[in-house]
This record gives sequence, structure tokens and C-alpha cells, in this order.
Amino acid sequence: MSTRRIHRRQVLASAAGGAGLLMLPGKAPAQGGAKKLAGVTLNVSCWSSSYPKFLADYIPEFEQATGAKVNYETPSFPIYNQRMDIELSTKSDAHDVVNVTFIFSGRWVGAGWVIPLTDYINDPKKTPADWDVNDFLPGSTSAFKDRQGRLCAIPWIADVHMAGASRYDLIQQAGMKLPDTFDELAAVLKAVNKKDDIPAFVVENHYGWTFIPFLQGFGGNVFRNPPTDLMPMLDSPEAVAAADFFCAMLRDYGPDGVLSYTYDQVLETLKQGRANYSSSNETFLVQMANPDSKVAKTCALSLTPGGPAGRFPNVAAHGWGIPVGSRNKDAAWDFITWAMSKELTQRMFNDHGYSSVTRRSMIQRPEFREKMRINGTDVAQLYLDTLDLGAKGYTVYRTVAPYPPVDHEIDVAIQRIISRQQSAKEAMAQAQQNALTQLKRAGVKL
Amino acid sequence: MGLLPALLVLALVTLGPALYLIITSLTPLTPVNPDTAFDFSDPLGNYQSILTTDEFWRSVWVQIELSAVTVVTQLAAGLGLALLLDRPSRFLEALRTGFLVPMVLPPIVVAIIWKILYTPDISPLHHLLAWLGLPIHSLITNPSTAIWAIAAADTWEWFPFTMLMLLAALQMVPKEPQEAARIDGANAVQLFWHVRLPYIRPTLVVCVLFRLIDSIKAFPLIYVLTDGGPGGATQVTNYYAFEQTFSFSYWGYGSAVATLMVAGVFVLSIMVNRLGGEAIDE
Repeated sequence: MSTRRIHRRQVLASAAGGAGLLMLPGKAPAQGGAKKLAGVTLNVSCWSSSYPKFLADYIPEFEQATGAKVNYETPSFPIYNQRMDIELSTKSDAHDVVNVTFIFSGRWVGAGWVIPLTDYINDPKKTPADWDVNDFLPGSTSAFKDRQGRLCAIPWIADVHMAGASRYDLIQQAGMKLPDTFDELAAVLKAVNKKDDIPAFVVENHYGWTFIPFLQGFGGNVFRNPPTDLMPMLDSPEAVAAADFFCAMLRDYGPDGVLSYTYDQVLETLKQGRANYSSSNETFLVQMANPDSKVAKTCALSLTPGGPAGRFPNVAAHGWGIPVGSRNKDAAWDFITWAMSKELTQRMFNDHGYSSVTRRSMIQRPEFREKMRINGTDVAQLYLDTLDLGAKGYTVYRTVAPYPPVDHEIDVAIQRIISRQQSAKEAMAQAQQNALTQLKRAGVKL
Repeated sequence: MGLLPALLVLALVTLGPALYLIITSLTPLTPVNPDTAFDFSDPLGNYQSILTTDEFWRSVWVQIELSAVTVVTQLAAGLGLALLLDRPSRFLEALRTGFLVPMVLPPIVVAIIWKILYTPDISPLHHLLAWLGLPIHSLITNPSTAIWAIAAADTWEWFPFTMLMLLAALQMVPKEPQEAARIDGANAVQLFWHVRLPYIRPTLVVCVLFRLIDSIKAFPLIYVLTDGGPGGATQVTNYYAFEQTFSFSYWGYGSAVATLMVAGVFVLSIMVNRLGGEAIDE
């Protein structure tokens, strides 16, 4: 039998966890009742990311408290989405709790493949009053509402775009600050490129995500007026100008092979100080300040720069939902209320530094604000400011059902421009034609 | 008559899914609208759409390029090594076993190995070339070199197959005609060309057939190394069908692309089979 010393922090954490579990409706074990979900098997699935990995550590506590058995899987993002799209479309009972992916939210929620949660939320027997659904930031819940305004998923992440420099010291040495506009961005990248042999700019090669703040900043958009008018606008003069600018920055100031950089490569490159500046997700950029990062002392974050038409940082959310085919909907809701309780959110922040939280009460806590102060920058405030911008609704283009193929066409067009296969005008014109073909294939009336 | 139940089961298991693929290709099936599974109002719509889609034709051309390069290089490398290893020696036997390693690795592991080799800032290959004063840019993000980079990785993975097959064939060549040719003064090249090659030609044809069909199924290397990019430069037809079906949920359209691929492979198989038959007859 192995023994181990119990630390004060573990005792406190367990006490907090116990308190969270007691919030579950029904009799708690201490009250002498049988375990509420004894004999129930819950199949839970989410794509692999920081939060789902952290959550795995706490699931045994949920099983212990409720008697449920949880089968938990976290495949990669594309695999998860492909698999779940098929599972949900066939109304399969294979899963009880699933992640509703932002880019698929219009399709999955719109088609009724995940159930509205309002009946659960409004039932005091199923949801404790202090669980407080209104605590979730509006910018993180809006994508998960159906046509009747009913919430169909509880967001576990608000994925917001920010900008950051791994070597802000080099920017300062050039007598500059973090750029606030595209013009300033071009000037900063030119000034610091190859300083200390470091390329100035790197972004993830999912351009249907990373290019959009530039597209909208130049006054362009993916569709004419989503979600009602889905005529693509990829060949507009604004879109061509944005593509030209964005691709020139990456081609001239990016590392060799920048087209192959996935998000994890971008993160590691920044943490190792092998590239300087990026426009990326907050959840990645804050990791530049982690103890294992070589740039923890020199990194800095800011809002995503804006263009002539304004500032349009990406904002996306992912949330827990219940498939319409699930046979354990009540137990699934118990799992969701536990996973998204204030207590567990707090513990995940304390234990793992998980910061992309969706509860306003969490963000407003002094210890959160303090921990999110990175080299003098109040990142929590940047996070709230970005979410406020996102609440204006300019990200709705991502949630329409036929967006994924258009997203792909944007990826291809940007690749062709950066690799000099086509000019910006030619590539965006081709993307427009291909997007029209794709939308017609999807049955969209234009 | 007694074989009928077994034949029926065999037909159901082997032809059933293929038949369903063809039926699906006649519909605009998408999981967003399950009713489309029974919509046969425009049965040739997918095929008409495919034939007028530039991206499809581009993917066919990329496929032809990739197949031609990989089949030729794998045959050349496999044959060359088989000739070198076709000697009785314990050392060479051990070397043979070593050469088989790439073939038995899971495809995704092979892809990861080459992803590392092709990522400039962490690649030992790039660092070595830079150290030698021969720096090169990323091979997988350059549209001119990306397909060659995939072909190199594919060749590394599969040349052991051709090597193994041809080595076995070489060892089956009877000794008498070889000795007779040597006594008549034939050099190594003449011996290979006039004596050994005719004997191993049927095996060569089988290798071509297998590698050709396998090259059309290329997927993991492309998925990991280039994701079909840059800008579609490595998007083969197989990958195109995958994207249309599983990324965009155009199941009917994807089925039509897959049906055309099956037809293409079928025709190729017949052609190569005939060549093989002629080789054996000779």
C-alpha cells in the first residue's frame, strides 16, 4: 500500500470540490441517499485542448460522488468535428454530453441536433439557483441560442484573439510599442524582423480564422450580410487589399515554412523565442508567460490591431451540449452543471491556470486579475474588452451552416498568395468562384 | 448449387458497400438534410458537377504526378537494392531486415518522422545542409517541391516492398542460364538485361500494380505533411473526396468522386494485369 503526504492545498481543493459536488441536485452521499446516478454510464466527448485535458483530472470525483461511470474521449479538433457531425446528424445515442463546436454551432443548433437547455436551467430541482446561468458572458453564449433564443450549450471557453510579442524588448529597443493599427503593425514588423535572428511574424495556418480580423479590419467580410444573405464577398476590393497586406507580412517577416505552422507550432515557436509577434488566441498567447517559456520576462500582450474599418478580433466559444439522441439527458445535465460550476472553474484556474473562462464572476476576482497581469499588462481586461467587441455580432459569419467549405477556400487562397502561385486578386477571385460553387452545392439560395 | 449461399454472402459483403456507394453518388446526400438520401431527381448532377470543377481535375493531375513519381522511384530503389543484396552473406541478410523497417512502421509514424525532417527550424536535415553551406527553404510549403517531398517520404516508406518482392524473384532465377551466360562472356549488365530481367518481369508488373493502387490511396503523409497544400498543390483525388465528404458533409458528391476513383483503379488494374499476362506468356 502506498502512502503519500497530504498537503494543505490538496485538503482545501478537495473541500472545494466536495462543495461543488454537493450542488448536484438530489441527495448527496453525506445525506445517506443512494448515489444518484448509480448504474448510469455517460459518454462524453470533446476535442482535445487545454480545458478538456484539465477536466479529465476531476472526472473521478464526479464518478465517486454520483455513482455514474464516465467514458471520456478527446480526439483532435478535425477528427472530433467530423465524427460528431455524423453522430449528431444520425441522431445517434452514442454520446450524452458533447462539445458544440463554434464553427458548427449554426448547423448543430439550427438543425435541432442538440437539445435546448432552458427547461433544465429554469427547473430549480435540476439546477441550483446559485449556479447562475446569467454569469456566463453574453459574448460566449450568443452562438448557442436557437431561433427561439433558447440556450443549447453552456460555454466552457471564450476563445478570443489578441496579439502578443515574445520579445517585446526588441520592439522597445526599436523605439516602438505594440501596434494598435495595421499601419503600425507593418512598421513594427519591418523594424524588428531578423533582430537577434528572429523572424518578426507568425500565425497559425488556419487562415479561415487568423486572416479574418484583417479582412474585416480592411472593411471586407466573408458574406454580404450573414446570417440572412450568404453571398460570398471574397473578391471585393477590401478583401483583396486585406489578403495582399496579410500575405505580404507573412511572406516577408514569417519564418521559413510558415505555411505549415499549426497552432501548437506557433505556440512553441513563441515560447522558445524563435518568432516575435503573433495575432493568436489568448489561451495560447498567455502561455508565453508560463514558467517553461524562455520569453516569460520579455513577452507582452495587447488587443488585436485594427484597420481602416475598425478592430475585429476573433471571438469564438465552445460549449457543452446534450445530443437529441442521448438516453441519459438528465444525467448529462448533472455532468454539465458540475463541469461548469463556479467551484470547478475556480479550481481549474487555481490548479492549472486555466484562464479562458466564461464566467464573469471568475474574471472579476482579484486573484484572477492579479494572476492575469503579465509583465504589467492587465490581460483579464483585454479579455473582457475583446469579448465586448465580439458581442457586436461581427463573428456571426462563422456560425452559419455552410461556413466550413468557405473557410477552406480562404485557407487555399491565402496559401496560394503566400507561396506566389497567384496574386491576391487572382486567388481571391478564384476563392469567390469556388465558394459560390460550394454554397450552391450546399443548397444555399443566393 | 451448394455454393450459392456462400456466393450470396460473399456478394453481399464485397459488392454491397460498393453498390451503396454508387447509389449514394446519385443523390445530393448531406447529413444536414437526411431526406436527400432518397432524392434521385438529378441522378447525374454530382457527376456533371465533378466534371466541371477545376479543383477535381487539378487533383487528378496531382494524383497522376504523385503516382508516376512514386511508382518509378520505388521500383528503381527496390530493384537496385535487391540486386545489391542478392548475395549469400550474413551481413547482407541483416541489412535486408534493417531495410524493412520503414514498411512496417505505422503510416502516421512515418508521417511524423518526415514532418520533423521537413520543418526547417527543428529539422536535422535542414541544419545539416545549412552547416554544409547548402541551406534550403521549406520543401513542403513550396508548391514546386511539395509533391516531391511527399514522393520522397512515400518512397522511403514503400521501397522495401518492391525490394522484398524483387529479391525473392531474383533468388528464384535458375542458376544454369546465368552460369552459361557468364561462360559465354556476358558482363553484369548483359547478364541482368538478357537473363535475369525476363525472369523477374512478372514480379515487376505485380509490384507496379500494387504500388500504383496504393499510391492512389495515399492519405496519411498528405494529411500530416501538407494538408493538401500549399494552395492545393498536393491535393490528390483521394484527399479531395475526403475533404468534400467529411469536412464539408457533401456525402453524395464525395461518393461520386469515390465512384470515379474506383472505376479508374479498376481500369488501371485491368491494363496492368494484361501487361502482366503478356510478360508471363513471354
